[in-house]
Parts: sequence; structure tokens; C-alpha cells
Amino acid sequence: MNRRLNLSLFLSAIYPLLAVCHGQSYAAESPDEAALQAEVHSKGWIVFSSRSDRGDYDLFICRPDGSARTNITRTPEFNEAWPRYSSDGTKLMYRRLHRDQTIDGNRYGEQGILVMAQSNGSQPKTFGDDGDYPWAGWNQDCSQLLCMSQKGFSIVDIASRKIVRTFPRQGFFQQTTWSPDGKWLVGVANSFGTSWSIARLNIASGAATAVNTIDCCTPDWFPDSANVIFSWRTAVEGINNGYGWTQLWRADAEGKSNRLVYAEEGRHIYGGHVSPDGKYVLFTGNVQEDGDPGSSGAPMGLMRLSDAPVIRGKNTELRARFPNAGTGTVLTLPLGWEPCWTFSETPGKP
Amino acid sequence: MRIQTSKLALVAALGLFSVSCGGKANSGTDARMSDYGTVEVTARLVEVPTGAIFHRELYNYATILKYQIVAVHRGKVPDNAIIYVGHYNPWKPRAEAADSRVKNIGGDSRQFRAGQLQRMALETPMDDFFMGGIVDKYFGRHTGPAYWAVRTNDAD
Repeated sequence: MNRRLNLSLFLSAIYPLLAVCHGQSYAAESPDEAALQAEVHSKGWIVFSSRSDRGDYDLFICRPDGSARTNITRTPEFNEAWPRYSSDGTKLMYRRLHRDQTIDGNRYGEQGILVMAQSNGSQPKTFGDDGDYPWAGWNQDCSQLLCMSQKGFSIVDIASRKIVRTFPRQGFFQQTTWSPDGKWLVGVANSFGTSWSIARLNIASGAATAVNTIDCCTPDWFPDSANVIFSWRTAVEGINNGYGWTQLWRADAEGKSNRLVYAEEGRHIYGGHVSPDGKYVLFTGNVQEDGDPGSSGAPMGLMRLSDAPVIRGKNTELRARFPNAGTGTVLTLPLGWEPCWTFSETPGKP
Repeated sequence: MRIQTSKLALVAALGLFSVSCGGKANSGTDARMSDYGTVEVTARLVEVPTGAIFHRELYNYATILKYQIVAVHRGKVPDNAIIYVGHYNPWKPRAEAADSRVKNIGGDSRQFRAGQLQRMALETPMDDFFMGGIVDKYFGRHTGPAYWAVRTNDAD
């Protein structure tokens, strides 16, 4: 107990210094935040989409504590969206849209041209034409793409650009992601009685099962391929005109249990992304339900998964449901959309 | 004299109105109906379930509605069958429902009312023609693929 107090006092004294040392644009507001900043600062890089000073959406990287924010695309004639690192962090994939095309929170994986680049944004190469390879995602060794179109799923060999396998879509319609172990995909599906369900599909057998139903979106995998992070909105009387706020949840991929991770009064939470070691989660969100990509976006957040559940704001109904929820330590990161995290150092190298 | 002329005009107008209203029933077809879909039916909308149609600005979706077949004009559908039809963004008049994501849908129906007779050009299975959110209040209560409404006109 004394040791914890001493550490707290120590951090309290030095956290402004830590902030300066890390070149942070977001100063810690408490010793706990300073401690979390120090804890994650050197854990690789985050890539995200955000408005540049020219008004277009570019890709940026920053340290997980929000420092060292750097524009890595600088393409005023295009909007860039949905960046994802390869599993080893050496490569980057994203969609490039024309400047006059607004990023659609439900369709971004189908929009624009697929681009593959080095993880620092250099050597960008387009892959196909506008709208090709919709919802494309890499497998573990970056040799194949998993794509989803109205006709169904397809696995594409990147070197030959040939389709090596197809299988039925089974109601999946957006935000599909290939699991780290290559055996599953998770996405948003309409085939479980309610729209916007989160479902998992076994790539070998094609069998699909619901993970969580009713008004869910932006699912992503934990590194163990056995758990899923996702957003879920439950309508609550008296909250946001009875509409409720979208919250960040986790569930086992078999859909047997779920747990609240983070909820905030006054903001929908989207784009959950778990750190490569499974200990932290990134997210973004906005007052606007679609994440507001047509505007300026919202600050990203980072928290320890071990602190979950965390509730921010005066949501009494939620607090009654989750009496053990804390207010947690949550870092406020730069404005960003659909972040992705790698522990590799290569994104920050020239 | 003036009054008599006015009365005559009124009677004539009422007569014309009566002929118009009591005339040929609206079959619901139009010049383009047969160009769309692989199935064409006239069917009665059985009901509009609570929560099946709502307007939410950021959500484009299709809702599944239940119909009783009255006549089959093209394609193979059993007479008097119950079919389930997906309509895109059902809160919009059909003529205004198409957008950049879902093209080539239309018709003259302005809204969906229980008991309404509609003539529809349909495709099936719906999944081959629409990739998006679906509100299905009949989930688990019907088998077989749903139809996708390409063109929807009101009929009498």
C-alpha cells in the first residue's frame, strides 16, 4: 500500500516532465495517466486516419501515448482510410478514396482503391481499381487477401492475383476481419434475426455462428483468435433520447459470454482494437453515430483491459447494471479513426 | 340560367369523377415492370410488424415484409403462397429509394400499409442482390430465401 502511494506521489511529481520527455501533445491529467503513458510509450506505433491541415483525411502514426504524431501519406488529392498493419508490422494496407468522396462508416472497406505500402507509408502501391478487393484483409504471412463482395467471400493470392477459393457470404455484409490464426473471420452479419449482429465464420467449414446480436459493429480479434472486441448499442430509456450510447464490449468468439469494456455518457464508442499483447485496447468514437468521418472525427482513447469495465459520465442505469465498474485510467489520444497498433518499430523509421 | 349552367357543370364533373373512380382497376403494371426481376407478382401486404420500418438517417437497411400472393405474372411462385420480400429503405417512397449503394429499384408505391395490394418485380435470393443490414421480424418463422423487391407499384 505504501509502495503504491509512494509511486503515486513520485509520478505526480514527475509526470509533467515525462510528458515533455515524450514530446506529448496530450499532457497527462493525473499521475495514473502519466503512469499509463509511460507504460505504453515504447510499445510500438499506432496508425490511424485523421484530417490533415489541408482538410483531407491522411494516415498518421503516433506512439501509443499519443506522442510523435506524424503524417505518413500527405496526399491532399486523396482521403485515406482503414489502415491496418501486417502481423509483423513491416507493411501497411489501407483504402485510398478521391478527395471528394466522404468516408462512409458502414462502407469504408468497399470504397476507393486498395493500397499496400511499407509500414512507414513509403512505397505505396495500388492493388486493383476503384472498389476492387472489397473489405480486403491480410492473412498472417501477407500472402493472401480475404475479400467480401455481394457475391460472397473470396481468398486471393496476392502474388498471382488469382482467386484461390470462394465461399458463401451467409449474411455477412461489412467490417470483416481475418483472425490471427487464419481459421476464422468475424464481421457484421444480418443472418441472425437482427441486423448488425457480430458473427464468426469458420473458414474451413463455412459454418457461421453469432457472437453477439442486435446493433453491433466494428468487431476485431484479440491476438488469441478466441475473443472479439466490438461495439454494441443498447437502447435505454432516458439515455440519449432513449437511443442509448454505443459501448465497447468483448466476447468469447463462440458467443457464450460477453463483458462490458468501456462506456461513456455522451459519446458512441467504435473501432475497438486490441494491442498485440492483448493487454490494452484502443478505440475511437463520436457524438455522431457513424464516428463522424465526414467531419473531424474524435479523440482516440487507450485503456488497460485489466481495468475494464470502465464507465465515464453520469450513466446511472449503466452503473446500476455494472456496480463494479470503475472510472479507470483512459488516455486521450489524437483525433483519429479506425486505429491499428503494432509493436514493431519500423513505422517510425525513415 | 347561370345557376342551371353551374349545376350542369357540377353534374358533368361528378359524372367524370365517377367514371374515373369506378373505371378500370389499377393493375399496378407499368411500361418498365417487365424489364426487371425474374419474378413478377401481385400480392397483398399481410401486415407491417412493429419496428419493421423506421427512419434513421445513418442506417440504410432492408426490411422483410410478408405477402400473400394474389396473381403470378412471371416466374415460378405457387398460387396463394406466402412470400417474404425485402424492401430497401422502406420509409422512403419507392421512386426515391434508390441510391449510390442500391441502384435499379423503384416503383410508384409511396408507403407500405397492411392490406395494400402491390405489383412487384422480384429477384431471389435476396442475398445475391443486396449486401447490407436487414430487419427481419419473421426470423426463424420462415424457410427458404427471401425475395428482393426491384420494382413496387400500388395496385387495386
